[in-house]
Parts: sequence; C-alpha cells; structure tokens
Amino acid sequence: MPKKYAVLLLVMYLLLFASSIYLYEMKHSNPVVTDSGQLLPIKMKSIKTATTEEELQQIVKQAKKDGDKLSIAGMQHSQGGQTLYPNAIMLDMKGYNKILAFDEKAKTITVQSGATWDDIQHYINPSGLALKVAQSQNIFTVGGSLSAIGHGRDIRYGSVIDTVESFRLLTPTGEIIEVSRSKNAELFPYVLGGYGLFGVILDMTLTLTDDELYTTDNVTIDYQEYTAFFEEKVLQRDEVKMHMARISVAPDSFLEEMYVTNYELAPNQEDLTEYNKLKGEPLIALPKFLLGLSRYSDWGKNIFWETQKKYMETTNHKLETRNNVMRSDSKFMEYDSVKQTEVLQEYFVPVHEFSSYIDDLREVLEAEKDFNLLNITIRYVDKSDQSIMSYAKDDMFALVMLINQGRTKQDIEDTGAVIEKMIDVTLAHDGSYYLPYYPYPTREQLHRAYPNAEDFFAMKRKFDPDELFMNMFYEEYGK
Amino acid sequence: MTYKRFLSYQSTIMMASSMIFPFYVLLLKNVGHNYAQFGWAYGIFALTAAFAYPIIGKVSDKVGDKTLFFIYSFGMSIILLIFPLVTDVWHVYILQLFMGLLGAVQKNTEKTALARNVEKATAGKEIGAYHTTISIVAAIAIILTGYMVDFLTIASIFYVGSIIYIISAILLMKR
Repeated sequence: MPKKYAVLLLVMYLLLFASSIYLYEMKHSNPVVTDSGQLLPIKMKSIKTATTEEELQQIVKQAKKDGDKLSIAGMQHSQGGQTLYPNAIMLDMKGYNKILAFDEKAKTITVQSGATWDDIQHYINPSGLALKVAQSQNIFTVGGSLSAIGHGRDIRYGSVIDTVESFRLLTPTGEIIEVSRSKNAELFPYVLGGYGLFGVILDMTLTLTDDELYTTDNVTIDYQEYTAFFEEKVLQRDEVKMHMARISVAPDSFLEEMYVTNYELAPNQEDLTEYNKLKGEPLIALPKFLLGLSRYSDWGKNIFWETQKKYMETTNHKLETRNNVMRSDSKFMEYDSVKQTEVLQEYFVPVHEFSSYIDDLREVLEAEKDFNLLNITIRYVDKSDQSIMSYAKDDMFALVMLINQGRTKQDIEDTGAVIEKMIDVTLAHDGSYYLPYYPYPTREQLHRAYPNAEDFFAMKRKFDPDELFMNMFYEEYGK
Repeated sequence: MTYKRFLSYQSTIMMASSMIFPFYVLLLKNVGHNYAQFGWAYGIFALTAAFAYPIIGKVSDKVGDKTLFFIYSFGMSIILLIFPLVTDVWHVYILQLFMGLLGAVQKNTEKTALARNVEKATAGKEIGAYHTTISIVAAIAIILTGYMVDFLTIASIFYVGSIIYIISAILLMKR
C-alpha cells in the first residue's frame, strides 16, 4: 500500500479514536445512577421527573389519591436506601435544577433543589462569590446534600444548614409552604437532615461568601499530635479557612501516619482572577490504577499511601481558589465490578477523643484481616443543633472510610459484623455515625448515636400520617 | 507472507479478540433484556458470516491473504471504537452484522494461509503446534484482561483491543 494512503488511514483511525472517547465521556457525564452502594437493589413502581412545581404538586396529589408511596432522589449517592422504597414512585429531582434568583450584593442565591453544587459554582464564580459549605465533591444536588446534611472541608461557616436562609416545601398534602427560622420554624430542623421524609424541598435560598485565593499547606504528622495540631495550628489561626486530613490504611503505617492539608488565605488576593477558572476532572488513570492495586493487596496499599504522600508534597504551596477547593475529584473512585462493590462509612468523634479513639479502632481492625479498608479521609465539623438529626453533637472529626466488599449475603454479613464493632467503639468515645450509608448499624446503635431519633420519627408520623413519603431508611429504623 | 509473520500476526489479533469476546457478553447483558435478544445478536453474527463466505473465498485467491488480514484488522479496530457508545440492543445487532462479516474474513483467510503454508504430510502436527501457540496467547490475554476490567472500566478494554488491532494492521503494512 502506498505510504500516502497508510498515513491517511492512520489519521482517520486516530480521529475516530478521539471522537469515540469524547462521546463516551459525554455519555457518562450524567450517568444513570442507582443507589451508589449497589447492595440495595429495589424495584420501584416508576421513576417520574418534573420541571415545574405544578407537575410535582400533581405527582404528589395523584400518589396520595392512588395510595402510592413516593421516594425522592437526587444523585442517589446515599447508600442506605434513603431514595428507594419497594413499589414506590421515585421522584427524580435532577431535572428540577434552575437557578431562580441571584443577589450579588446580598450574596444569596435561590435554586431549585435538583441543582448541583457544580451548577451553582458555575453561576456564581464569575461574580467572585463562592459557596460557604458543601461537600468536598460538588456532584451532589443541593436538595440531597441538605436532606443528608453533607459536610466538607470548610471549617469556618458551620453546618451546611447554617447557610440556608429559607426553603419551600411541597408537603404530603400537596400544599406548598415556606419554611425558615421564622416561618413554619418548627419544621426547619426536621426537613433539613430529614432524608426526604417530610415532603419535597422545592427550592431554597443559600447564603454565599467571597471567593478567595488559598495556599495549600501539607504536613505529615503522627496521629497522636493531630488534636493539638488542629487546635493550635488550624482552629486558632484565622487565616486557615479549610482543612482536611488522611490517616494511613497501609499496613506499614496503619492508623498512625497522617497527612493534613490546610488551605490558608494567600497574601496575594489580587491575583485571584489568574486562578479562578473552575477546574475540570483531571486525568484519573494513575490514581485509579493505584487505588485498584490497593484493593488487591497490602503491597498495593503501601504503594498507594506512599504515592499519595509524595503527590501531596508536590502540591505544597499551590494556589487554589475557594471554589476550586470545593470541587474535588471523585471519578477515580468509580468502580465497575460484578461481584465487589465499594461502600462508605463515616464516623464522628469529638476532637479530644481522637487519639484514644484511633487506638481502639486499630485494635478492632487489626483483628479483621479480611476487612478491605481502602482509604480514610478526615474533616472537621463543628457542633450543630440546626437539625434534629445532627451528627455533630460536639466539635468533631469526621472519618470517612472507603471499604471494598463483596455483594453476597455472606459478604454483607461479614462487613456488617466489623462495622457494628467499629460503631460500638465510636459510640464509646461519645461519637456518632453518618446515616446515609448501608443499614449495617443496629436500631439500638442508631438511638445511641441520635438521641433525638424517637422525636424525629414521631414528627414524621405526625406530619405525614399516611406515610406518603417513604424510604428504606425509615422502614428499617423508624417504623 | 512468511509463516513466522503469519504466526505473529495471528497471535496479535488473537490477543485482541480474546480480550473482547468473554467480556463483550457483559455488555450484551447490560444492553439486552432477554435471552431471545442474546440469541439474535449471535444469530446475526453467524448468518452474515454464512452469506459472506462464498464471496470471501473467491476474493481471497485474487487479492491475497495479506490484504484481507489488513481489512479485518483495520475494520475491527474501528468497530471496537463504537462499542463503548452502544446504548440500545439494535446497535449491537448492527455491530454484530459487521463483526460477522469481518469474522468470516479472518476465519477464512486464517485457513487459506495455513493451507498455503503447511506441508500436506505433516499438516496435523503443524496445525496442532499453530493452535497451541494461538491458544496460549488467548489464555494469557483473557486472564490479564479480567484484572484490567477490575482496575479500569469495561469500555477501556474495547479501546485497548482497538489499539492492538491497529498495531496489527500497521505491522502487516510493513514489508
């Protein structure tokens, strides 16, 4: 074949290759998600979407008339069936995502509840404003985050609920009411952190803050120094605005070595505009590969930890805007496997309990050789009573654990046994645990972690006596 | 085409095709809804092949094995780029049609090339040795791919497969 044609064919192939990958990425930028734990497959009656409040009202009224149950779903990253109920109609809120109002001067924004934090960031970033509190990843819907009280790296603005001025609720009777700290105030602490059990949050007004330029400061420390470090070098220094940490799950330094990342106000705020382009997802092949290795072996876990540490060193003194710090990568954690899945657990312990808690946790986990713990990240939440179901009973550290497990009944039981032990340790240190994960904890553990749970479920029955809004979490723990 | 080159070419495409086929079923399972659709997908594959064989046979003697192998490799490298984008079962049907066609090209040409290369007297032994090599390569590829799917995604194996096919096509073009 003449060289000319060969080159032409090769160029054609490369073009097709690039467009295939491009289209594939496009197709998967809005994946159809089931409950992300994948351990609770539930057959729903139907999935309904709506773009107007009239449509939503109609769906609620019709379901009430027909005796159907409703469950509410955003991105469905909760793993405890909070968005699912057998034979219920699932309200998919993702399309209900308009930005309704934006007041740059007052620094407030009103959005429909299906909007994601990413949508808001894109809207407000050009005006030099930023979110106050959101999860580290920005893929979740605002309605979902507030129903599950998401939290992230911010350490100065309290709970995400503190950033809500007011919201409108579509109630189980099909009415629309306004709820704030002054109007229908009794509902406020139940609906936020209410896991969709009180009705559909239609839209809400959130308060914003200025976008700022931060420098990243990474330090490796021993877990025993962490509490003192956090109080002296983080909380007491006003220039530190955000914070996160990791503790090793690698066998060589298991639950001992940590690295912490502080985001401090940079001296050169005037340069903000050079850095405020919102970042996209970076190339994920390497972290994904390393996480893959660590799923398989202790050896892989050691390598993953060492590489993470080295990577952190390279990002020291990096300048990043507040908005960009609040849009961290999560894609490399996506995991396709037929037999295995990855679940999350999150435990909260008071800041002062941290080092003794880690010692006790290590004792539990060292006896569980088959328990495949892949990652632990740590963030800070300050005490909040804004929701009846608040997990932050004190100023606490939140430990998020990524666990690889099988999908069989036996696998679920095995993981459940370890998790029950970990929760017992957590509760013994006056801690609590995050609710939107697989219902491994016992009822008794739930009530110990959430002393107001009884009150919460009673209010649910009072406000929604026909139990129109249902989900697996309520079924498991509330009935 | 020397026997050595033929063997290394077959090993390369065997690697690519054995990467895809076992896992390709996973994709069918995601896209298809019942066993009848499954049956149809493979039925179409076999049927197109059946219609194609007489023509391929004739063409083969005229244009030579190398050209046909090239068509197979290049065709497969492009088809594999389409697989990750499949959302409906009818997409699979169309792809199976082309795969059936190309599969027939490869199968027929593999045999004609063998026939042109082996001595009649020792054909059994030679073809036996040939299949041993090819099967070992296939086995290794399948096992390694299993791990790869764990690390990456199903889609990625189609891309890797496609790259191997295009490499095999480039190697063919070299004199």
